[in-house]
Amino acid sequence: MKRIYLGALYLLFFVCNNNGFSQGFQVNFQGQRQQGMGLAGTAAPFDGSSLFFNPGSSVFLNQNSIVGGVTPVFGNVLFVDSATNTSYRSNSPVGTPFSFYAMFQLKPAGKLKWGLSVNTPFGSTVQYEDNWIGRFALTRLELKAIFIQPTFAYRIADQIGIGGGFVISSGNVNLQKDIPVQDTNGVYGHAELAGKAIGFGYNIGIHFTPSKQLSIGLTYRSKVAMNLRDGEATFTVPSSLEDKFPATSFTGRLPLPSVTTLGFSYHPCSAFTVVLDINRVGWKVYDTLAFDYATNTSSLLDTKSPRMYKNIVAFRLGMEVKPIKNLALRIGGGYGLTPVQSGYVTPETPDGIRIYGTFGVGYELSQKIRVDASVYYTKIKRSDTNIETNMSGTYTTIALAPGLSIAYKW
Amino acid sequence: MVKGNSFYPQLFLVCLCGMALNSCKPKEKLAPISPGEINLQQFVAIGDGNTAGYMDDALYLYGQQNSLGAILQTQLQLVGAGEIYLPLMGGANIGTNSSFLSRLILGWKTDCLGGIGLSPVRFAQQGEVASLTTSVYSSQNKYSNFGVPGLRMIDMVSTAFGNINLPQHNAFFARMSKDQFTWPVWSGDWSSVQENIFDGGYPTFCSIYLGIEDVLPYARSGATQNPMSPLAGFPGVGFEESLTQLCEQLYSQNVNAVVATIPDITQMPYFSTIPYNGLNLDEANAASLNQIYGPLGFSFTVGSNSFMIEDPTAGAFGVRPMVEGELILLSAPLDSMKCHQYGSVYPLRDEFVLTLAELQEIRNQILAYNQVIRQYSNFYGFAIAETGDFYTKLSDGFVYNGVTMSSKFVSGGAYSLDGIHLNPRGNAMLANVFINAINKKYKATIPFANALSYSSIYFP
Repeated sequence: MKRIYLGALYLLFFVCNNNGFSQGFQVNFQGQRQQGMGLAGTAAPFDGSSLFFNPGSSVFLNQNSIVGGVTPVFGNVLFVDSATNTSYRSNSPVGTPFSFYAMFQLKPAGKLKWGLSVNTPFGSTVQYEDNWIGRFALTRLELKAIFIQPTFAYRIADQIGIGGGFVISSGNVNLQKDIPVQDTNGVYGHAELAGKAIGFGYNIGIHFTPSKQLSIGLTYRSKVAMNLRDGEATFTVPSSLEDKFPATSFTGRLPLPSVTTLGFSYHPCSAFTVVLDINRVGWKVYDTLAFDYATNTSSLLDTKSPRMYKNIVAFRLGMEVKPIKNLALRIGGGYGLTPVQSGYVTPETPDGIRIYGTFGVGYELSQKIRVDASVYYTKIKRSDTNIETNMSGTYTTIALAPGLSIAYKW
Repeated sequence: MVKGNSFYPQLFLVCLCGMALNSCKPKEKLAPISPGEINLQQFVAIGDGNTAGYMDDALYLYGQQNSLGAILQTQLQLVGAGEIYLPLMGGANIGTNSSFLSRLILGWKTDCLGGIGLSPVRFAQQGEVASLTTSVYSSQNKYSNFGVPGLRMIDMVSTAFGNINLPQHNAFFARMSKDQFTWPVWSGDWSSVQENIFDGGYPTFCSIYLGIEDVLPYARSGATQNPMSPLAGFPGVGFEESLTQLCEQLYSQNVNAVVATIPDITQMPYFSTIPYNGLNLDEANAASLNQIYGPLGFSFTVGSNSFMIEDPTAGAFGVRPMVEGELILLSAPLDSMKCHQYGSVYPLRDEFVLTLAELQEIRNQILAYNQVIRQYSNFYGFAIAETGDFYTKLSDGFVYNGVTMSSKFVSGGAYSLDGIHLNPRGNAMLANVFINAINKKYKATIPFANALSYSSIYFP
C-alpha cells in the first residue's frame, strides 16, 4: 500500500502545475474539501490541507494523515479586439495544480503536530493562438511555483491552537513573445525569457474554538519574493539584427503576495457545517514586471512594465451536509475583487472581478481511506485598454476545474 | 454490437465531457457591423501613389495588394464593398519607378569609410519596363483603385496626363487607361483620369486622397523646381477648382465620399532623418573650419555643429550654417558628407535643403489646400479623413498593440524605404483614419484593419 502512495507522490512532483484562473496568478486549489465549499475552510480543519489553510487548526485533528490531490484546470481565454472586431483564443495547456500533505502527531491526542505541505498556490500558463493581435505583447507565459512548507503546530489551550511553517518556494518563469522585425520571408522575430527562481516565506495561523458550534481561524501567509537569477534570454531575429539582440542572461523579480484570512466555521449539528473565509491579498507588491538584461543594446533595453496591482479582498462561502455517515456533499461560491486596475490588464493575467461556484463530494471508503472530489467553475469578463501596449478589447475567461484527492489516515 | 448497458454510460460520459469542454470555451460575441448610410456596391479609391500602393520607390505587385486603397476596400468588403480590381504589376515583384528603377530593399552597403551597414538598395538592375509599356486595361473589370503614382489634384481632368506622345505623360496611368496607348479618334482627346473613373457608370462611394503630389515634387527638389499647384485657376490649373468640379460631379450623381486632407509632408523621414546639426567635428576639423569661415563670422566648436548650406540671400558669399528647424533631404550625397567635407568646407546645395522660408511656403500651401478640402467636403456632405493627425502622431511616436511606431527611417515601422510612402503596415493605419471618418460621418460601424497583420520592412 505504501508503495502506491509513494508512487503517487512521485508522480505529483513531476506533473507541472499551471493555471491562470484565480485572482492575479493566485491558485486556490489546495484542498478538495475546501474547493467543494467555495474555497473556504480556514476555520474548519479537515485533513493535512489544514497545514496550508491554517497551521493552527491542524492540532485539532486527532490523526496522522497523508493526502494527495490534483485539480486539472481547463481554462480558455477569448480576446475580442475592439478596433478590428476580431477575436483570438488561448490554447493553454491543461493546468494541473496539486497538493500533498503529510501530517503527524507524536502521540495520540498530543499537543504537538508536525507536517509537510507541498502545493502550488501561485502559477499560470497561458498561451495564445498563433498570429494573434497581441503577439508582440505576449505569446506564452508559464509561471510555476512549488511551495514546500515544513510546519509545526501546538495546542496552547483546549480551545486554541497555533501553528507556523517556513516556506521555500521554487519556481520557473518562461515568457515568450514575438518581436516586430521581419526577415526576408516576412517571418517575425521571437523572444524567449526563461529562468528559475527561488523565494522564502512563512505561514502562521491561530485557531480558536469559543464553543462547540463555532470555530474562528486567522492566518497570515507572507509574501514571497521570487528572485530570478541567471535567466536566459534568447532571441530569434533576422541575421542583420543579431548583434542588436544578443543572447544574454537576465535577472528579474516576481513578488508573490501575502494572504491574510479570517475564517469562520459554524457547525450546529454533526451533519451540517457552514464556512466563511474573508481573504485579503497583498497584491500591491506587484507593481512592476522588470527584466534587467546583462547585455544591453539600442534595441535591447531593460524593461519595466507597470503592473500596479492593488490589494484585494475576497469572500468565500460554503457548506457541507452529511446525509449518511460516510458521505459529505458540499456546495459553495465566492466573490473576489481584482488586483488588476483599469489600464493595466494584460494578456498574461486577463483578470477581472470574479464570481465562482463550486460543488464537492467526499466519501469515506474505510476508516483509513477517503476520497474527495470537487468542481470549480468561473467566468470572468474584463474590458480594458492597456496603457503600455494600447491593446484594447474584452477578455472573457472561463475555467472549469474538477479535482480529486485521496487521503490515508491512521 | 454494443451492449446497451455498457454503451449508454459511455455515451453519457462522452456527452458530459463534451459539454464540460464546450462550456469551457467562451462564446464569440462580436459587435454588429454596418455600412451605415452609405452604399458600397461600387467603391473606387482615388488618389496618388499612396492609394496605388507605391512604396519603396516603386510600384510593384505586393505594394499594390497592400495599398491604402486595397486595405481600405478589404475592410469595406466586410460591409458590402465589391471585389478589388487592381492594375497589377508583374508577379516577380521587381516593380519600377518612373525612371525605370526597381523597388528598394534593405541590403548591405559599404560606405566611404569602409563601414558596412544596412541601407536601401535596388532590388534589381532594372525596373519592370515592360509593365509600364503594356496596357492592363480591361473593360470587364473596372479598377476599384484609381491610385496613380504622381497624380496631382490638378491632373484629374487633364487630357495630357495619359497622352503617351507627351514627355510629361504619366506612364502609370497610361497603362491602365481605356485609351490603351492609342489616340482615341472618336473623342479627339486623350481620356483623363476622371473620365476613366466614371467610364461605364459612377461609383456609389469613393475615397479621395489627392494633393500630396501638388506639393511633394517641389519639396523633394529642395524647393528649386516643380512649382506647387496654384490654389486659383480653372480646373486643370488651380487646386481649388479642380477639387470642386470633382466634388460637384460626385454630388450630382449622389456619390458619397471620404475626402482626405493633406499631411505635413515635411514630417516624412525623407525630410526629417538627417539632423541640421549633424556635423560632428573633432578639434582639428573645427579649427580648420574656423580658419575658412572665421572671416565670414561663422564659428565651429568640437562636437555637434550645423551643416553649411548655400543660401543666395545669406550675405555676400551666399553661405551660412543651418538653423534649427531646417531640413536636409535624404537625396543629399551621404558619402560626400561623411568623407569629403560636403556640408562643411563645401556647403550643401539648395536642392538638398529646405530652409525655414521654403518650409513656410510649403506648409502654407498645404494649409491652403486643406482649407478648401475641408470647406468643400463639408459643403457637399462628405466625410473628412484628417491624415495630418496620423502623420503627426507617427512623428511623435506611439504604441500600437504593443508595437512602437514612429516616423524614424527604416526602424519606425510605418514608412517604406523611400522615406515618403508608407509600407503595408503604415497603409493599414492610414486606412483606419479613413474608416474612422466614414464611421463618424455616415453612422457606419466598419471594423478597423489590424495593422499588425500587414508587414513592415524586411530585414536580411
